Amino acid sequence: MQINSLSEQGTLLIAAITLFLLAAFAALILIKSHKLCNIVSNVICIIAAFFGVAASVIKIFIDNTSTHINIFTSTIPFISIEIEFDKLSAFFVLCLSVLVICVSIYSIGYISHYYGKRNVGLFNFLYSTFILSMLLVMISSNAIFFFFAWEAMSFVSYFLVVFESEHVENQKAGKLYIIMTHIGTAFLLIAFMIMFSYTGSFDLRGSSTAIPEFAKNIMFVLFLIGFGTKAGVIPVHIWLPRAHPAAPSNVSALMSGIMIKTAIYGLLRFVLCYLHVENTWWGISILCIGIISAVLGVAYALMEHNIKRLLAFHSVENIGIILIGLGVGFIALAQKNEFLGALAITASLLHTFNHTLFKGGLFLGAGSIQYATHTKNIEKLGGLIKKMPITALLVLCFSLAICAIVPFNGFISEWLTYQALFANIIPGEAGINILSILSVAALALAGALAAACFVKLFGISFLGRSRSAAVENAKEVPVTMNIGMGILALMCLAIGLFPTLFIRGVDKVVSGMVGTSIINQLQGGFIIAFYPLSISGNAISPLVILGAIVGVILLAIFVIRIIGGKYIERKYGTWDCGFESLDSKMQYSATGFSKPLRIVLKILYRPRREVEIEESASSYFPTSIKYKVSTEQIFEKYFYAPILRVLKSLSRKVKFSVQTGSIHAYLVYIFIAVIVLMLYNRLV
Amino acid sequence: MANVLYAVIQIFVIIMLAPLVNGIIKKVKAFTQKRKGAPVLQMYFDLLKLIKKSVVVSDVSSWIFKVTPYIVFSSAVAAALLVPVTTMIMPVGFAGDIILMVYILALGRFFMMLAALDTGSTFGGMGASREAMISSLIEPSILITLFTVALIPNSTSVYQIMGSMKAADFPLIHPVYILTFIAMLVIIIAETSRIPVDDPATHLELTMVHEAMILEYSGRNLALIELGAAVKQLVFITLLVNIFIPHDQFISIAGIGAVAISLLIYLIKVIFVAVVIAIVEVSTVKLRLFSIPNIAALAFILSFLGFLQYFILGR
Repeated sequence: MQINSLSEQGTLLIAAITLFLLAAFAALILIKSHKLCNIVSNVICIIAAFFGVAASVIKIFIDNTSTHINIFTSTIPFISIEIEFDKLSAFFVLCLSVLVICVSIYSIGYISHYYGKRNVGLFNFLYSTFILSMLLVMISSNAIFFFFAWEAMSFVSYFLVVFESEHVENQKAGKLYIIMTHIGTAFLLIAFMIMFSYTGSFDLRGSSTAIPEFAKNIMFVLFLIGFGTKAGVIPVHIWLPRAHPAAPSNVSALMSGIMIKTAIYGLLRFVLCYLHVENTWWGISILCIGIISAVLGVAYALMEHNIKRLLAFHSVENIGIILIGLGVGFIALAQKNEFLGALAITASLLHTFNHTLFKGGLFLGAGSIQYATHTKNIEKLGGLIKKMPITALLVLCFSLAICAIVPFNGFISEWLTYQALFANIIPGEAGINILSILSVAALALAGALAAACFVKLFGISFLGRSRSAAVENAKEVPVTMNIGMGILALMCLAIGLFPTLFIRGVDKVVSGMVGTSIINQLQGGFIIAFYPLSISGNAISPLVILGAIVGVILLAIFVIRIIGGKYIERKYGTWDCGFESLDSKMQYSATGFSKPLRIVLKILYRPRREVEIEESASSYFPTSIKYKVSTEQIFEKYFYAPILRVLKSLSRKVKFSVQTGSIHAYLVYIFIAVIVLMLYNRLV
Repeated sequence: MANVLYAVIQIFVIIMLAPLVNGIIKKVKAFTQKRKGAPVLQMYFDLLKLIKKSVVVSDVSSWIFKVTPYIVFSSAVAAALLVPVTTMIMPVGFAGDIILMVYILALGRFFMMLAALDTGSTFGGMGASREAMISSLIEPSILITLFTVALIPNSTSVYQIMGSMKAADFPLIHPVYILTFIAMLVIIIAETSRIPVDDPATHLELTMVHEAMILEYSGRNLALIELGAAVKQLVFITLLVNIFIPHDQFISIAGIGAVAISLLIYLIKVIFVAVVIAIVEVSTVKLRLFSIPNIAALAFILSFLGFLQYFILGR
């Protein structure tokens, strides 16, 4: 290792990696004492993440060169541990580190319910190595090392998904996850091989000029499928809503907050930086996938009542929104419109960062609910705002952020995405303008459905009367859990109110990749005033709007106080039409809440309803009514099930006709194989 | 100075005028039904009375229920700040655009739906659930419509859009704007809980949407919500009349007199739209809940065709 020639951020980065390793081994050494092990390991992770933040902030804002560290080169060709730390890597390392700080603080409290029940040392070992593997994915310099880190990330996260392995559905989820992720990896592997066969090098920062046009197109498709599987875009999303709920909540936060973003990193690193976008259809296909994922993701989320599955589907939606930005960027770059490309990629990267914050926070919130009530089913919750006021407030903040409601951060990145789409319409190129306006419609629909979904999530679980005894006994969670979430919520608000500060950082990353800076077009400290292509300006200022809202509230309170006098309040029961015995079962349920949309979008859900009525003497007063409603997962039924059927029948045929168990047949196979190999050798 | 003057005029005109629009709509409806009807200023009296009354709060509810009226009202007013009633006064550094306007109104709606669920009442849940459906279905049309009109000045700023429409003298003779105008009218009816989407006069559980959500409110909380809804309605009407029927280009004088004339013409336009909405209300019936997607589809198709027209016919 060439330590002496390292720059300071290189040292910081190495320190972070070493500390994550230390955290993993500390967890194993202290495996006997659950509490000590958990605290030590998480504290080391927090310190390591601070080093990561420092390294990436220095890299993004100050240093303009790329740091190359060669840790280890083996005698086997191409196997080497090489780190290349540039602005794009730094941006994703920053996302990772910020989230790890908050999640580790949260874990100190959250893991306490495992004490004495599960192997906390093993868990913390896996947790730290999972973070380390993601870090290595983001900073690896050659495709082989990238591939190893990528596989490590998949395997460690698989073990975390099946950590609570006594539930059968967790085992199933893990199996599906490992299969799907390896299908994706297979596509990546083929792409790397094509890369090597033309350039003779696995270097990610190398030149791709030697690769001909058609091979680039093939590589793009392979990368899109490979990384798309990791990102969970529709239709290769099926693992995501199963695996994310199965993992412990702090791991779900990492998986949803940052692991699926490694796919976005991959698309930027391999397609944008390595291959360079030359064809418009690349961007168009990403945009189409983005639209489909955004709308269908949120539509499926609406039908879920398992809080973590619901959030997992929202990850699909938000990946869709990120891909919409990315798609517009790629279209613009292919048409040499670098300014618009920079704007769209800025929007997409900012949304990546925002989603890391609020989705991480929401999964932690789900973990808090599960910690306090031991259920993930929102139909069993209700009235939690009185039992867990701080958690409720924080979850409300994250819900507003994910619904892109002012003054939170989600709005800023969606505004930039809208602006990018708008700027993409203006040239009026046939096809692209229609696609862009449809993306606008899709984004608006996804936004409104997300609002509906989070009203359901928050309204049913935190408001109203409690629906089960589990809620009655719920208590506020340990303070470290709320601190972890609170930091995330404050960052959501900070980005929402002072967007330009953060866009400045993202802009440095984007201008490093695209070569065009948009920050000169964005003016003011608190106002985003955006002047594209010598057009008249579009400006928003979330701070001014928040000021206006607060001002109007104060004015309203003042005026009402003068006209109406003192505030006199009387507590009384909810209006019950004179029935006088309202109970929690008479409230709207989550199923009921989403029913109008279930009927309107029935072509998508294909709902089935079963009603069983057990009648008594009078048909007006049945003894019991059972009502069951189910929706269909169309992708699984019409896309995966047929493939599986064919695969199964094929393998059965192979079993009976090829793999007969007869040693004579096997000898013939070996003989044929040898002949074929000899012929091949002769002919080539 | 211009900023302060602008903000004062916006807030004052919109809050003061908003209840009048409801009064006019009710009066026209009464007139067509051969009733005498309540006075045009009835809503002002109602609001004053409500503010003076004490408040009944459900014992199931939480702080969400109490802050919602203020958030609904102030988000509507904040949205009103972004939609100029007159283009005669130009504020410096206009800090908002159509996308921000849509998402500020979403803030109010989000809290409105939460508050409806907060009391644990079936009515509230029903209203929130229906509101969620209607707003989701109508949202794409709103943004397509606004983006289409934003294409002319190439800016999403409401000010720039209105300015570019002034240059066209009579935009409504152009087919692009006829389609988007009608789409906008449909959107207004859906967004402001009017027949045929919702019935503001009903308290029947089969039909109510907005009324179901606010069923638990009383006193000053109810007053704020009612006023907020009226302000939101006027914001949409202002958007409609000042974009599609601009008038400031015909005023040749300058100074404070011009502002007064401009506001007067604006008032006439608002009254005209109020009468149109009233006529739509009396001449149609409340639709079944599951026929509302058809209305939303109509709005979507109109706005989308308007968008296509822009590129086919040009401008």
